[in-house]
Amino acid sequence: MTVSRRDFLKQSLVVSSATATGLLPVSEVANAAVKSAESGWRWDRGVCRFCGVGCGIQVATENGKIVATKADADAPVNRGLNCIKGYFNGEILYGKDRLTQPLLRMKNGRYDKQGEFVPVSWDRAFDEMEKQFKRHYKELGPTGIGFFGSGQHTVQEGYAAVKLFKAGFRSNNIDPNARHCMASAVAAFMQVFGIDEPAGNYDDIEHTDTMVLWGANMAEMHPVLWMRVSDRKLGDPNVRVVNLTTVSNMCSGIADLEIIFKPSTDLAIMNYIAREIVTRNAVNREFVDKHCAFAAGPTDIGYGLRGTDKFDYAAEKDTNAKELSMQLGSAEAIAQGKQAGATVEQKNRATPDKHWLITFEDFRKGVEPYTLDFVAELAKGDPDESLDDFKAKLKQLADLYIEKSRKVVSFWTMGFNQHQRGTWVNEQAYMLHLLLGKQATPGNGAFSLTGQPSACGTAREVGVFSHRLPADMVVNNPDHRAASEKIWKLPAKTLNPKVGSHFTKLLRDIEDGSIRWAWIQVCNPFQDTANANHWIKAAREKDNFIVVSDAYPGISTKVADLVLPAAMIFEKWGGYGNAERRTQLWREQVPPPGLARSDIWQIIEFSKRFKLKEVWGEQKIPGLKDEGYADGKLPDVLTGSAYAPEASLYEVLFATPDNKKFKWPDAIANGHENHTAKLLGDHWFPEKALFEEYAQFGRGHAHDLAPFDVYFRDDVRGLKWPVVDGKETHWRFNEAYDPYVKKGSGFDFYGSAFKLLPSGNLDGITKPEKTSIAGRAKIFFRPYAAPVEQPDQNYDMWLNTGRVLEHWHSGTMTRRVRELHWAVPSAVMFMHPADAKSRGLKQDDIAWIESRRGKIKAAVETKGRNRPPRGTVFVPWFDEGVFINKVTLDATCPISKQTDFKKCAVKIYKA
Amino acid sequence: MRYVAIVTRLFAGIALIAAATSFAAEPVKTNSMGLSKTSVFDTPTPKAYHEKAGLPGPNKVLPRAYSGAPPQISHSISDFLPITAQSNLCIACHNQPSQWGQKRMKGMATPIPPSHYTDQRNASGKVGESPVGARYNCNQCHVSQTDAPALVDNTFSSGRAR
Repeated sequence: MTVSRRDFLKQSLVVSSATATGLLPVSEVANAAVKSAESGWRWDRGVCRFCGVGCGIQVATENGKIVATKADADAPVNRGLNCIKGYFNGEILYGKDRLTQPLLRMKNGRYDKQGEFVPVSWDRAFDEMEKQFKRHYKELGPTGIGFFGSGQHTVQEGYAAVKLFKAGFRSNNIDPNARHCMASAVAAFMQVFGIDEPAGNYDDIEHTDTMVLWGANMAEMHPVLWMRVSDRKLGDPNVRVVNLTTVSNMCSGIADLEIIFKPSTDLAIMNYIAREIVTRNAVNREFVDKHCAFAAGPTDIGYGLRGTDKFDYAAEKDTNAKELSMQLGSAEAIAQGKQAGATVEQKNRATPDKHWLITFEDFRKGVEPYTLDFVAELAKGDPDESLDDFKAKLKQLADLYIEKSRKVVSFWTMGFNQHQRGTWVNEQAYMLHLLLGKQATPGNGAFSLTGQPSACGTAREVGVFSHRLPADMVVNNPDHRAASEKIWKLPAKTLNPKVGSHFTKLLRDIEDGSIRWAWIQVCNPFQDTANANHWIKAAREKDNFIVVSDAYPGISTKVADLVLPAAMIFEKWGGYGNAERRTQLWREQVPPPGLARSDIWQIIEFSKRFKLKEVWGEQKIPGLKDEGYADGKLPDVLTGSAYAPEASLYEVLFATPDNKKFKWPDAIANGHENHTAKLLGDHWFPEKALFEEYAQFGRGHAHDLAPFDVYFRDDVRGLKWPVVDGKETHWRFNEAYDPYVKKGSGFDFYGSAFKLLPSGNLDGITKPEKTSIAGRAKIFFRPYAAPVEQPDQNYDMWLNTGRVLEHWHSGTMTRRVRELHWAVPSAVMFMHPADAKSRGLKQDDIAWIESRRGKIKAAVETKGRNRPPRGTVFVPWFDEGVFINKVTLDATCPISKQTDFKKCAVKIYKA
Repeated sequence: MRYVAIVTRLFAGIALIAAATSFAAEPVKTNSMGLSKTSVFDTPTPKAYHEKAGLPGPNKVLPRAYSGAPPQISHSISDFLPITAQSNLCIACHNQPSQWGQKRMKGMATPIPPSHYTDQRNASGKVGESPVGARYNCNQCHVSQTDAPALVDNTFSSGRAR
């Protein structure tokens, strides 16, 4: 017997009129239960450790251990719901092989890169770390060191790391794993709106009647949001959900329409819809004329590969050569209005982000080739689907967007962001919503979901990127540097104006020897970066020193020279910012085990070992060319400054007189400990002091955070910034909700970046004089571009990679939770049964997956939750034993530098 | 029993302090660390795992990780997936509000509890007559178990429920 959807809906309707049986608010019912059954437990508020949704949880502790967690019934994000991972926020702390002591590679009592790990004291660990740092820093300068940060760093940790690296060491070689996760989203926000992060919030789900997923398997990656989407969908017969994907997945179960497209052809589908909007006269003229401007940019921008074959394996050379020169296929030629077969030198590799204003007429010309016939032929991703069926679906999709009475929310995550044209395809989502005027109102908007719990709060808002400073500022803008130097009380020109190395480049730099000292926190770059064979070999075999702070041993730990044991989320104070701009803070709940320490303690304690005279003298920066700087050099900023050469970075950057005003202990702790404050000494409260110092960057600049203590109030479950006069902002850029919008404007896209632009047409700039488009958002024309590597006779299948519901990232936490591991014990290769059969493979067989870059083995799965079309396989990346990033391609979006993990060519054969 | 637990905890505490303060320079073999006991340069051969339990009915109820944790599914589910808007075979069997508070008979489906009939976003505190849409995708919280051995032991304890 099955419950049909109609029955289910009928029953749902009954629910709303059903007699109430319990009348207390859920939280009170829960509290009462707690009081009676678990009297010894202390409950306090936390936030989920895993994805970017940012669910509120409650954490129970007893005798210094977490004994339970539960979803917070009062949290607006999740209202008492968690996903299966979320329920194990407690158990992740207790894997038996927690790292509890520093480990240094040694032979005969001395550090030796070829030695085995020996447990050492923190002093010994920092001694070696300092010695190796100073050796390489002295020789190579600030560009010879690197820091791998994270979208799982707390706000304060990310801030401390940025300050130590950019202000202390004067190095911009700091970048987060969030580069792999949402850099394309950031680049598009900056180019379209001039300011980062979404206009809307999760309540858009309840306000809208149309939800379109573009490369977002929300059912597995944003499970609690999917619960909200499902609730909306099942409760209202008018609601439509569309799932656009290259692999049929769990979302298709609830969706009304599933559209399977070929890799990268989302670019073409977008332009088809735009063309429909234009030809059906559906452009919202009033909105567009008043609030938008049209723009275009160069197309010969490369693929984020290295542009040199010096380090290539023989098999890699053909793909990598396309970085400099690509021959256009026929579809790409039509899509870009060029000659098929033409060879295009990639001349704008260094300036991929350049763009200019165009007219609506030019925009119309740009989308003109994207007819239904052309796009359907190009984009149809399932060879077993008929072209007519596919065309009908595309038309239905366009109808849903265009229908006047419909509100539309477009969601996307890694399908768009991990894309060789990731910035473009993000921009195309805004293109549709802006053309229709369906943006920045309740239930209407293009909504970029984020992957990690604080990709927004830390990586983006704090600016833990090689080009960024806090509050959307950038290192290569003199005004931004000056503003940061003022808040940080640094001598002028302390900050380095040259953009540092992005995440993948940090690894390339380790391979080419330009970085020889690196510190990794809260991420696992040697498992999570594409084309991993190169980076592992370089780290293990070259003269360099790799420090990994982690809670559990993973691939990066095994690659490291020094391992520092890290405290986990509820073993320290912290804060995360989720994908709807909601900042949530928590207290330390339990002490870290053994000698494990918080990442922020590690950063600040290490800073005690540096005197200003070691870092603020003249420094060489190869390639630095900037107004006001001698070529290749940062000036001595110490001489003549108010600071003593012997002062330590600890005093100057962290334990400053202002920061020491925030005393530990503090009443806000309410009985909770702070191991970081205790170990640092000096009776200050680093997490609060640094939060308040950081908040100075955003207050008054549309990034306002509330005071630290407010986030701990009983009636607060995080607040969506900007928080102005104590009120959070639900929808940005909309006068009805956002206090930063100019009165009387209705909408005001007030972000200030890239708003002064030259003009031109689809081919380039024709008028170099700049025009201001202040207050407007840009509608970009971005063409279809073919992926740099596509299946051929030898490597004949597409490989797509991603996450699974049950595991987080590289699995170092969730695979140590028994229930999650038993549920999904290893990564399998999801494959179409016909593809398996034609290779002599069947369910559970072990097969080789081989690309130009490496090969690994996985078990064949032909019946699972992901059902790829013929010609594609999907392999999750959480499993270090099925190390798929040894196979993937390290091409990136040339603008955002975010790696495309979603498409490369492989061959599959029986092992 | 309580006394034994306290003593065990005490000893565990002492052991922890000992581990934390002694630096016996006993090296750790890199290839014995982590989840794959191999070199980072190796290519291990994975194993295919299968659902441990058979069809619904005779299986024993699995323990909860802690009080409030979602129950694990004690039977195989592959034949019942995917859940779609048109068909949800989990709800078909487990939607048994009449069994709330009743003694469970052997082989009977565990009834979906009242919390799942409560729309916490829009009608908090009211228990309706059918599960709410937000709880429709059962396998977002409840998972079945394969025959894979645990990779690493885990010392999490709810103190009471396990």
